[in-house]
Amino acid sequence: MRRLAVAVLAAAAAVLLLAFSGALFGHSPWSLLSILASGSIGSRFALEGTLLKSIPLLLTGLSVVIAFRAGVWNIGGEGQFIVGGLAAIVAAPWGVLPSLAAAMLAGAAWASIASAMRLWRNAPEVLTTILLNFTAIHLLGWSVNGPLRERAGQYPQTDLAESALPLMGRLHIGIFIAIATSVVAWWLLYHTAEGLRLRATGFNPNAARWAGISVGKQIVRAMAISGAAAGLAGGIELLGVTHRLFERFAAGYGYSGIAVALLAQLHPLGSIASAAFFGALVSGAGELQRTANISSGVATFGQAVVILTLIVFDHVRADR
Amino acid sequence: MFELIVSSIPLAIVASIPLLLAVEGELVVQRGGIINLGIEGMMLAAAMSAAFAAQASGSVVIGFIGGIAGALTIAAIFGVFTVVLRADQIVTGTAVNLLALGGTSFVYQEVQAFKQQIPQLRTDPILPLAWILIPVALGVILWNTSFGLRLRACGEHPEALAATGRSVKTHRWIALAIEAILVGLGGAYLSLALSNGFAENMTAGRGFIALSIVIFGRWKMKGALLGTAIFGLAAAMQYALQAANRGIPYHLLLAVPYLVTLLILCGVAGRVRAPENLGVR
Amino acid sequence: MIHLAHVTKKFGTTRAVDDVSLEVRRGEIVALVGENGAGKTTLMRIAAGELDADGGTVNVEGRAELVHQHFLLVDALTIAENLALTHRGFRFTTRRAIEREAEQTIAATGIELRDVTRHVSELSVGERSKLELIKAISRKPTTLILDEPTSVLTPNETEDLFRVMRRLADEGTAVVFISHKLPEVLAVAERIVVMRAGRVVAESVSQDTNVNALANAMVPSLLAPFPASGERVAEGRVRGNITAILGVAGNGQSELAAKLRDDHPEGGHIPEDRTRDGIVAEMTIAENLALKSKRWNAREAAKQAERMIALYSIRANGPLQRAGDLSGGNQQKVILARELDRKPDLIVAAEPTRGLDIEATRFVHGQLRAAAERGARITLITSDLDEAFALAGTIQVIYRGRLSDPLTPEEASQRIAGLMAGVT
Repeated sequence: MRRLAVAVLAAAAAVLLLAFSGALFGHSPWSLLSILASGSIGSRFALEGTLLKSIPLLLTGLSVVIAFRAGVWNIGGEGQFIVGGLAAIVAAPWGVLPSLAAAMLAGAAWASIASAMRLWRNAPEVLTTILLNFTAIHLLGWSVNGPLRERAGQYPQTDLAESALPLMGRLHIGIFIAIATSVVAWWLLYHTAEGLRLRATGFNPNAARWAGISVGKQIVRAMAISGAAAGLAGGIELLGVTHRLFERFAAGYGYSGIAVALLAQLHPLGSIASAAFFGALVSGAGELQRTANISSGVATFGQAVVILTLIVFDHVRADR
Repeated sequence: MFELIVSSIPLAIVASIPLLLAVEGELVVQRGGIINLGIEGMMLAAAMSAAFAAQASGSVVIGFIGGIAGALTIAAIFGVFTVVLRADQIVTGTAVNLLALGGTSFVYQEVQAFKQQIPQLRTDPILPLAWILIPVALGVILWNTSFGLRLRACGEHPEALAATGRSVKTHRWIALAIEAILVGLGGAYLSLALSNGFAENMTAGRGFIALSIVIFGRWKMKGALLGTAIFGLAAAMQYALQAANRGIPYHLLLAVPYLVTLLILCGVAGRVRAPENLGVR
Repeated sequence: MIHLAHVTKKFGTTRAVDDVSLEVRRGEIVALVGENGAGKTTLMRIAAGELDADGGTVNVEGRAELVHQHFLLVDALTIAENLALTHRGFRFTTRRAIEREAEQTIAATGIELRDVTRHVSELSVGERSKLELIKAISRKPTTLILDEPTSVLTPNETEDLFRVMRRLADEGTAVVFISHKLPEVLAVAERIVVMRAGRVVAESVSQDTNVNALANAMVPSLLAPFPASGERVAEGRVRGNITAILGVAGNGQSELAAKLRDDHPEGGHIPEDRTRDGIVAEMTIAENLALKSKRWNAREAAKQAERMIALYSIRANGPLQRAGDLSGGNQQKVILARELDRKPDLIVAAEPTRGLDIEATRFVHGQLRAAAERGARITLITSDLDEAFALAGTIQVIYRGRLSDPLTPEEASQRIAGLMAGVT
């Protein structure tokens, strides 16, 4: 499929551009590429790290896929991830399932603030979701410095969560949850009538309205599901990896979801491969920071390059 | 409470200058039909390049020029994708923000010049510039010149302008350049005057808040000034509240600007009339 | 004057203009008639210099100005500001100066348009049409081309327009008038050129021809007039179920259609703007047809789509073809199929045959009549008098958002000119 080729080309272009940007500051592009590779897939440890990072990326990516498919600009994955983590740790004493359920509900609710504001006040969700991100970050800051602070009182972080996801080595079963979510999302979008209507709303809300579709309902529902997915990402990251909350808990997973979704051409199943790629990129960037002292901001830079490359390819394609 | 508000005014006027300049710039661009979500990244890049230029040269003026250069670079990238390639403006803006975020962190860690001293800003001509001269000048340009008329047509019905043989693209490029100069000044002011140099992610959402204020002000200059004043006052009161030790936790106070902006967006409601062609590819 | 010799223009594989030669002399009023898609607009855009011809020669003396069918006005700006858009460079202006200039420009054209401080959004459709005309004439063209100017005018406004055209012709301007309304064309033009499928198929001095001859030239097969003689009884029931809401565009029809859509979700609704509101271009025909279904199964949907494609004579490659790739007429058929196939009791059709050729129009009318025959109540919102009188048993005229009392076709035909101009 041509879309697959475009995605692969965009990913390759991003990596190459990253390497050559490093050259501008005196690093050898080849050494950069080899560090990226070894840090992401060069050892069993690296591979596990890549997969661990891919799990939340897949879920935040799915969150964006569902929203964008409905024509809703949910840029709030970061904040929904955070409140998901907050809800998860609060509900952790009751077990893994209630904890994850709480995470999903919290993410859905946080996103629904934005959809409510859009429906009642015409406030553009592209801005409200971003503003809610900043709000969530400070909510987290308050929580880990205040009410949820660890009993020892030494660091701005919570105590360990009282539940955890079962492990398989360093990996946790969250990987199955994430992949299952991807399949469910795919089935919902392409094999149900409501999924058809959601996609129609995204393509042409006017025509959808004339076809008897309630655009408002589609928007609210899409935002809620989208928020739930991002919230679930936060819950899984807490119960599977970090086991406690701290100030930099989200670390950009929410925003990265946008790049994951766009590289996957907004396809739920394609998001699996896309999340793996960006997981590798983040892991490799971590290695770059450790060995070559290059800011891990290169991963964010790389995401941007991927998105821009995709735009260029889309334009070239559309012209033909 | 009243003393709290009044005592916050001087701080508000000065501290909201970067935001104000961003609002003014975005107003011009949106009147031309483009939503520049990447204004956040533009300001961040400007803050960094201003700090770099000032620290490397020892001159504040060079610093401000450097800030403008940084903003123009981001504007050029954004413009190539949105004006020339006619790509989706939200996606491009998001990508530009990520580009600037990652890029500035990367460069900041690489370049040695950032370890040097920031030269001091002696007098502050920026204040009357931002609050009086620039709004008046932009108001005249937008509503009392032939260029401004044509630019507003670009934001409402670009085909109508194109039919007279003028280039919609050129007008939008000029609007982006104006915005870049203003945001460049704002970003430079942020790192050189309001802070002691560049810090990662130092814009903290000012670009997005600026976008919200443009909407609140209904795409008019007076509304933009009013919105910035209200917001600036609320944000400045943060510090006053902190000092007054009213018992509100520090971290929640940090959230106040964003909550205020959300409220501002709520206050817009219903029949907001954006430029008809805003955001359309 | 313009002199076109053997002009051709292709869009992809379609020959929009196929070896056309045409001459329009100073002071002449020439009408260019033909069905939708015959190539009239494309040919004139080439003459006006907006498009380049692929072949042949284009010789235009002086300037040719084309007044487009779809207005290129900025609603949010005033009349004066719209006229000032042509100003170049970076000049300081004041509102008063622009307004004075606009008044002078308007006066020079001899067309009446008062109060230049009004925003275009406040103008009636007829006034907007005048403004477009003023814009064109103020450029002092040697040739003026009008593309379907009367489709949005009341009968009185049409007369005003013809007066302006005759004056311009007397002053030496060459005037080309594109239309598909044959009676008007015969009233104002000296010479008539008929196009069909990109070629000129007939040319005549208007004194020497009549509506039937022109219609014959436009369309190969003769139209059977509705209704056929032996069907009086059925006719009564059909007409009894069809109400036409008649009016010039811009009098509240869109708002009415939207309200009916929201109030009666169970009914069938055909929107006025099929590309913006009717079809999801990015989705397949099968997906578009299934938007109102309770369940979705790709294979089932494809089968249903194939059935409807056959039943509604939709010319397509198959159920999986992208709906946006279909021609306008076939897109309209897809919308019809989706809305009518469930046999709703209430149908609201807004401008259902706008922009369609004769064959597609007949098809749509046939579908509506069939629905009426099985008992559905149909509200037909249209600006086409012929359509309204051909189908409806009850006619209401809409003016500035208000409906007249229901009238029989006989009553309506007597009062129609007045009603459409707002006289009650």
